[in-house]
Amino acid sequence: MGHGKYVIPSIASVSPIVVQAGEVLNLEFVVLPGESKDITVFVELAGPGAEAHLKGLYLCNGDEQVHFRILMHHRAPGCHSTQLFNGIAGGRAQVHFDGTIVVAPDAQQTQAYQENHNIVLTDTAKVETKPQLEIYADDVKCSHGATVGQLNENELFYMRSRGIPEKEAKTLQMLSFLSPVIPEGREEEILLSLHHVLE
Amino acid sequence: MAEDIIRQFTSSEYKEGFVTDVEQEFIPKGLNEDIVRLISRRKEEPEWLLEFRLDAFRKWQAMPQPDWAHLDMPEIDFQDIIYFAAPKKDKERPKEIDPKLAETFDKLGIPLQERDVLAGVVAVDAVFDSVSVTTTFRKTLAEKGIIFCSFSEAVKEHPDLVRKYLASVVPSSDNFFAALNSAVFSDGSFCYIPKGVRCPMELSSYFRINARGTGQFERTLIVADEGSYVSYMEGCTAPMRDEQQLHAAVVEIVVEKDADVKYSTVQNWYPGDADGKGGILNLVTKRGICKGSGSHLSWTQVETGSAITWKYPSTILKGDFSSSEFYSVAVTNNHQQADTGTKMIHLGRGTKSRIVSKGISAGVSQNSYRGLVRMGRHAQNARNFSQCDSLLIGSRCGAHTFPLIQSQNPTATVEHEATTSKISEDQLFYCNQRGIGPEDAVGLIVNGYAREVLSRLPMEFAVEAQKLLQVSLEGSVG
Repeated sequence: MGHGKYVIPSIASVSPIVVQAGEVLNLEFVVLPGESKDITVFVELAGPGAEAHLKGLYLCNGDEQVHFRILMHHRAPGCHSTQLFNGIAGGRAQVHFDGTIVVAPDAQQTQAYQENHNIVLTDTAKVETKPQLEIYADDVKCSHGATVGQLNENELFYMRSRGIPEKEAKTLQMLSFLSPVIPEGREEEILLSLHHVLE
Repeated sequence: MAEDIIRQFTSSEYKEGFVTDVEQEFIPKGLNEDIVRLISRRKEEPEWLLEFRLDAFRKWQAMPQPDWAHLDMPEIDFQDIIYFAAPKKDKERPKEIDPKLAETFDKLGIPLQERDVLAGVVAVDAVFDSVSVTTTFRKTLAEKGIIFCSFSEAVKEHPDLVRKYLASVVPSSDNFFAALNSAVFSDGSFCYIPKGVRCPMELSSYFRINARGTGQFERTLIVADEGSYVSYMEGCTAPMRDEQQLHAAVVEIVVEKDADVKYSTVQNWYPGDADGKGGILNLVTKRGICKGSGSHLSWTQVETGSAITWKYPSTILKGDFSSSEFYSVAVTNNHQQADTGTKMIHLGRGTKSRIVSKGISAGVSQNSYRGLVRMGRHAQNARNFSQCDSLLIGSRCGAHTFPLIQSQNPTATVEHEATTSKISEDQLFYCNQRGIGPEDAVGLIVNGYAREVLSRLPMEFAVEAQKLLQVSLEGSVG
């Protein structure tokens, strides 16, 4: 490096999940209402062509504190990583998302994507999101996106004008918002939790 | 061949790097309460301002220098800096501008004579090291009730206004460098637009560092009263030197109800040589407050200079339905480092903000975007959109994005997106094949990439900025 400082967040002290050449890592997280969670994940893409795909879902409607800390370290060339975290915060919940992608100086041809989308339901809930990119190589495709918003009024109106009750319409909206991150076979469970959140 | 080009440009292209040979007065090196008193006395300041400085100085002494930025900051010896340097006035003709100074600003393309063609639309406050040399068009502006003068004059002529607004946006204890500035600030611009007045010309400040071993600590205060409008520009340059020089400024902007302020900067400090020797350390605090409802503040910045940039122009959106924008292009080449971005603090109902940041890194430089968007509890229906793109030229540079989004309101909407990419071989090939050389092609692509920001600049600045982008990146291909 010589010049400039190379910052890696403090979670680097956690032992990393090392993904070697040709390996694929899939991780899925689900945080349901009533659970306070502090989730720290450190992934190291150590061999050329390694892949890591992370998905996360969180649903809070009480006093939960949910904290995600993700570090995706691209150390080898040609690696591919995706991250998608979608969540809904109601009640007095506090949600923090800290996600960092680091691309080391020689990790050319890296593809790294990160997304974090949030819906805030109450004015006592708090969402803080910190998607970060640290890139030291030039031949890379990296992007991140983060949004914090609410359920779309127009969608709600559309459904209600067609006879769908408000609660059901909202459930459908939330379900569609979360659907990309719902693990296979857990749809029923999530649906139940959504009903719970709206009560 | 490529190395030749790099050497040529880095050694010769910073054309503002000359030194003006003018007799100057200095105060002794170092920083202590006596120095603060000396600066205050020299500027014949009232007691309250001296108290303000001393208070800030005491706070500064207790503060540690921040190190959270993504910068490799050299140790700054605050005792090894001269805090005040002024060109000597000719005793026989105290009212006139030293021809050498006039010549300097002329060479920089800054009109100090009101008859100049360009001057017809721009009023200039020219600051040379620690003092303001002259402010043009004061009379024309005064007819409309607009006050535009150097900070020192404002303290003497409009003490009530200065006292009311000074440090109302950036308190002296805000941060390490703001505290330092509050203690030792020398000169800068003061601008007040009265109720309902639309400023007929662009107001501009030009900051020039000349003396060796000094630092520049200017303070700018802009107040736009109800329903007024002003477009304000800031430019700056410094000579080429082996030593690094400190520039720690504070800019405060107060925007009252329905007022509109447009603030544009083209930062062209000396960036240091190809080996990272010398250059300006630009450690600046800029903040505005949209105080009244319906007020609007727009920041546009083009950063090509300085060895290290630490700068986050921010807006506090306090008034209901107020809005703010931040457009930025930051270019780093060779060993330059930039950690820049913005803060949008949404407090009022229906407040809106938009952030467009374009970073370009080349050589072995490091370029970071750091931003904060906060939606307060009462920011009903507030809205923010942020876009931060990075362009990498060369495999040894770095581009980083550190946004922070905090939302405490269920009706607020925040969107952030960032991408990182490089100039593709295809784009270059396309240009080369049509007879456009590699450097021109990069210039073309970069200008296209930064267009969204450049198009926001006032006309005079836009032309200069486009040229600057080209020059800053020359030698970075091949």
